[in-house]
Amino acid sequence: MLTVNGLTAGYGGSQVLHGVSLHVAAGETVVVLGPNGHGKTTLLRAISGLLRPTAGTVELDGVNLTHLPTEAIVAAGVVHIPQGDLPFPEMTVLENLLVGAYRPEAWAERHERLERVFALFPRLAERRKQLARSLSGGERRMLALGRGLMSKARVLMIDEPSLGLAPLVIEQVYNTIHEIKRSGLSILLVDENADHVAGLADRMYLLEAGTLVREGPAEELLRDQALLAAYLG
Amino acid sequence: MEKLLQAVYSGILYGSVYGLMALGLTLIWGSLRMLNLAHGALYLAGGYIAFFLISQTGLPVYAAFLLAVLGAAIIGLVLQLTLINPLLDNPNRDSASLIATLGTSIVIESAVLLLFGPQVKQIPAVLEGSFKVGTVLINYHGLLVIGVAVVCLFLMTLFLRASRYGMAIRAVSQNMDAAKLMGIPILTVFLIVMCVSAALAGLAGVLLSSIFYIFPTAGLAPMLRALVVTIFGGLGSVPGTIWAAYIIGLLEAFLQVYLGASWALPGLFLFMIVMLVLRPNGLFGLGEVRRL
Amino acid sequence: MIRDEAEAALEPAAPGEHSRLLFAARPWAEVNWLGLFSLLVVLLVLPWGLSLIDGGNYVMHLIITFFIYGIVAQCWNLIMGVSGIYSFGQLALYAVGAFTTATLSQSFGVNPWLSIWAAPIAAVIAAVLIGLPTLRLRGIYVVLLTLAFHELARNFITTGPKIISGGGYGLLFVPKLGFDTLLGPEYEIVFYYYLALAFFLIASFAIWRLLHSPVGIALTALRDSEEYAVSRGVDPFRFKLLLFVFSAFFTGLAGGFTAHYLGAASTSLFDFGIMANLLAMIVLGGWGTFWGPIAGTAILTFLTEFLRAFDAYRNLSLGLAMALIAVLAPQGLAPLLARGFHALFGVFAEADEGEESAEAEAAAEEAAPTEAKTPSG
Repeated sequence: MLTVNGLTAGYGGSQVLHGVSLHVAAGETVVVLGPNGHGKTTLLRAISGLLRPTAGTVELDGVNLTHLPTEAIVAAGVVHIPQGDLPFPEMTVLENLLVGAYRPEAWAERHERLERVFALFPRLAERRKQLARSLSGGERRMLALGRGLMSKARVLMIDEPSLGLAPLVIEQVYNTIHEIKRSGLSILLVDENADHVAGLADRMYLLEAGTLVREGPAEELLRDQALLAAYLG
Repeated sequence: MEKLLQAVYSGILYGSVYGLMALGLTLIWGSLRMLNLAHGALYLAGGYIAFFLISQTGLPVYAAFLLAVLGAAIIGLVLQLTLINPLLDNPNRDSASLIATLGTSIVIESAVLLLFGPQVKQIPAVLEGSFKVGTVLINYHGLLVIGVAVVCLFLMTLFLRASRYGMAIRAVSQNMDAAKLMGIPILTVFLIVMCVSAALAGLAGVLLSSIFYIFPTAGLAPMLRALVVTIFGGLGSVPGTIWAAYIIGLLEAFLQVYLGASWALPGLFLFMIVMLVLRPNGLFGLGEVRRL
Repeated sequence: MIRDEAEAALEPAAPGEHSRLLFAARPWAEVNWLGLFSLLVVLLVLPWGLSLIDGGNYVMHLIITFFIYGIVAQCWNLIMGVSGIYSFGQLALYAVGAFTTATLSQSFGVNPWLSIWAAPIAAVIAAVLIGLPTLRLRGIYVVLLTLAFHELARNFITTGPKIISGGGYGLLFVPKLGFDTLLGPEYEIVFYYYLALAFFLIASFAIWRLLHSPVGIALTALRDSEEYAVSRGVDPFRFKLLLFVFSAFFTGLAGGFTAHYLGAASTSLFDFGIMANLLAMIVLGGWGTFWGPIAGTAILTFLTEFLRAFDAYRNLSLGLAMALIAVLAPQGLAPLLARGFHALFGVFAEADEGEESAEAEAAAEEAAPTEAKTPSG
């Protein structure tokens, strides 16, 4: 469904991604593991158009998305839930979620989508009138995920959902991601930590220094002891 | 007592018009992070287009006013497409946009000077007549101006809070990257913001020049006031700007009435300098003031 | 890219080659001295030739105007173009200089040769007063506060006490510098010419030296990337204030000269038309470079003379040119002119503009330790 081929990108003079190729099939959950600073966020930004790739292609069901502006990529159904959440600080939780449904197709269904998101995240429902900047770290993460779900996404790209959260909250977040997976959405998730990935990921990649060094079915990579030592906890 | 009434009336009048202008500036700042130095020229364009239409064609005054506002919006559109959009990727966009908008304002002012000459002109009022409260003269037209401005400010606030596009504009000004990720078309938002701001400035020009006069350098004073209001209210904050507009308008009116016209401007600026030192984010600022 | 440049710079220079980093230390090594010297000789001799021609005095007046505006334009460029401080108070500082010496000499009878030095001092004081609150804040606030200062100064001088404002028209009987007693009134302008030339050369040299010192490189670094410069130990506020004061000094001096040259300090000195002209000189000539403002001032002063007939359209075309150049050719016309001059006279130091920003980041570290040793810059 989502095919990335030879993606190369960087900032200013330095190149971060060196020809990364991966794919996500419909309904699949793919996890990309990698240490910090090795290009995980850059990868997602290059796919969603926040960063312009210098080489390579990004395709969704054969449609070339590579140099399109982000708005078109989102319209095609590739939704990037960014690292650090990026909330709209002066808007309420409700408004933040509504912005997620900005695109006309999603906007028409916004009330149903809102109900679904509130069912998934009861804490957000409680705080719907609160300003986003007053939310805790975990709540912001939920808000970011909820916002992503408000759109008519076909592929959800999630950047480090566990970043900066307390262990209990991480578990809640990952539980929600399991729910999202169960609803049939394709997911591309990047993280530096393989703790909660078991049972979630169908396939995994390892990203080191901007290159994919391993690929394979999740159970296989998760059985590898050396890998577990490097990427757990 | 009458001085008070005069000051309050003038203050509300100024405040309403400054609010229109400052709203445009704050919207542009919020989404584009750019200071539009052509804003005064858009005010000027509105006033002169109205003057031209009224004096040269038989159009009724309110129709001329509407067309003038439209004209200002179109100038804003052209400005955005030809000068601002190309600069968006430019690393020097801050200084380049300052120069580009300043250049534009010089062009518009010179054009106006060439076409209409340096003499002061007056646009006739929509409503004739006035009434007195004591010795204070209050024009019906002045009340109309206040009414129109207040209605516009209210409609704009409603638009921003309750409509999908308004929400998009607010999103862009609060977090551009996040807005992009929601599929919001950034260039379209910029265009809408610029056209709306230009229209508001043009409207301010039309309204105020129908009370006072219009002359080729008439755009400068309102723009400076608008700048003060925008910063005082907090860059990028719409409610802050509206509050600030009335506070500044009243302040200026009171200074004029009680201390004389020559104290208005210095008083205003001294107030602003003090305010900037004490509270650099303004009343409801969105932050980003760095002090090193 | 920056890393490559720095590495290349640190490599031992091949015989006969200058290491790039040395440029900051001995900038005079790269200037074409012969070219400059011949130009200087021409400038020195010129007035005598001109005084023999009909209308020569007018040409001399134009050149004096070029010198004076050239100083102000260079100073403003130093602040806006090189350091990225969006100050619109330059013209006001110029006017403050003019009015200070005018007031002292006309209203208080001070000898103009003494009062003229009060001009830069007054401008410096004003600059410190504006700079202290303003320079800590970011761009847009600087625009507003300096515009405010301009209006305040204009207001005060226009409506203030008669000794300063001359009843709103300005001071119109400012004593001149007494040159007419030397060789007679016909040659008075020649002496003004030499004085203006001297001021211009001193100011230009000071600015040039500043730009090519570690201080100058630090300023360019501040403009290009303030966070980086701060992380390298550059204190932005101190640098900006220093710069502000430095350019206020020469701007005030230029204003003082003008007051005594014209014999008047008029409130029209504050006109936005003049500000627009000055800005155009910087933008058209070459924003942020050394030769840019000089070239721009030359273009504007002389070209607009020839286009006198189209005066009404001048401002319009200036505005248009500024807007277009800001978008299409931000480096202004100086690089093109420089190439032309270089071909003809070999006067201009080549690749002047490119080096400044390329060196800025690689050599910004030079500024930090050096700065500690020479605090006055």
